[in-house]
Amino acid sequence: MIEIKHLAKHFGDLEVLKDISLTINKGEVVTIIGPSGSGKSTLLRCLNLLEQPDGGSILFDGVDIVGGQVKIENIRKNACMVFQHFNLFKNMTVLENMTYAPRVVNKLSKEEARDKALKLLEKVGLSNKAAEYPSRLSGGQKQRVAIARALAMEPEVLLLDEPTSALDPEMVKEVLDVIKELAHTGITMVLVTHEMGFARDVSSVVHFMDEGVLVESGQPEEFFAHPKTERARKFLSTIL
Amino acid sequence: MLDFSVLNPYFPMLLAAVWITLKFTFFSTILGFIGGFILALITLSKNKVLSLLAKVYISVFRGTPLLVQLMLIYFATPQLTTYTISALEAGVLSFGLNSAAYISEALRGGILSVDKGQWEGAMSLGVPKHRLVLDIILPQAIKNALPSLVNESIMLLKDSSLVSVIGVADTLRWADLIQAKTFRAFEAFIVAAAVYYVLVMALNVLGSYLEKKVRVSD
Repeated sequence: MIEIKHLAKHFGDLEVLKDISLTINKGEVVTIIGPSGSGKSTLLRCLNLLEQPDGGSILFDGVDIVGGQVKIENIRKNACMVFQHFNLFKNMTVLENMTYAPRVVNKLSKEEARDKALKLLEKVGLSNKAAEYPSRLSGGQKQRVAIARALAMEPEVLLLDEPTSALDPEMVKEVLDVIKELAHTGITMVLVTHEMGFARDVSSVVHFMDEGVLVESGQPEEFFAHPKTERARKFLSTIL
Repeated sequence: MLDFSVLNPYFPMLLAAVWITLKFTFFSTILGFIGGFILALITLSKNKVLSLLAKVYISVFRGTPLLVQLMLIYFATPQLTTYTISALEAGVLSFGLNSAAYISEALRGGILSVDKGQWEGAMSLGVPKHRLVLDIILPQAIKNALPSLVNESIMLLKDSSLVSVIGVADTLRWADLIQAKTFRAFEAFIVAAAVYYVLVMALNVLGSYLEKKVRVSD
């Protein structure tokens, strides 16, 4: 479904992505792990062009999205992102946050958008928060709303950029539970995370990055038990 | 001694004068806000030429006295074009153009203080840029800039007294006429001052009300 070929990106002199190639199949839960500064978030952000790659191609169902042939909004509405810092719209209530893009971008009617939003809120266990402003929610609740907001767009792929890194420890689980449940619904997900145990449990494929290079890819059981490369072994030994 | 009763016959005239002050402030504020929005968006846009032009505009209008701008527009317009501009038009135009420069700076600050995540949050859902600016960034920017915006309206209200110089029959002009007729300078001008003060206080109250209203999302 998504084919990344020889992707390159640099910020000034710093090469953040070096010749990355990988394939993401429909329905897969793909996790990208690696030390901070390894380029994993940048790779994820390239997938919906929040970062513009400097070289290589990203084929979305065979169509290259790098280089401007495809309207950028059409890519993003199909590859919605969940951020580390939630990025809920502060001037809108939870319900408005969730109905805004479906109405503006997907042209749903007010009622359709509302019904869908309420169903999703129920799924993430926050039905009673529909009328609240984000400032009234805890971090974990904000992130669950952010996930529901992205799902309301019915994207082809959901991108999650360290969704639990900004949360207090006691709130991590409630968010991971929501993601885990999603993982079983057959949605395609690309997840950047530092939660190794979680990555092992939910992923279909794990990609390990270091210093802008895709070092190793594999099945989670295989990768976490018997990493093939020295760098992956070192990384795993420092955090597990 | 002080004798305010000499003013009695002139109070209907005062009402008309206050109405002109209000009308004047209202139209220049509207013009200032529209112009300020446009300028703020241009200075933040990636178009270097337009952005430079807007910066020059802001610099000129903030760097020269308002009274000079007023006179220039009022007296030079008939000379340069064949259009005879009325005093009221000249006033609204110069004050609107001038306050646009100040308002754009307040709004620009407001826009820059909106967290970058708000842009990314909307972009990542496929929201087109113009909608995201209108629906998500500007409401938050206005909220951030509200105190300066209210302040700017108050400045406009007070500065509106400058139009009396080119003969607009506003509140200050009224006081000037009355003191010429009655030789009661103190009574005339103190009434004018009181009128401005009451109007400014009313704007203040409106400002606090608006601030409370935009705080619901905090």
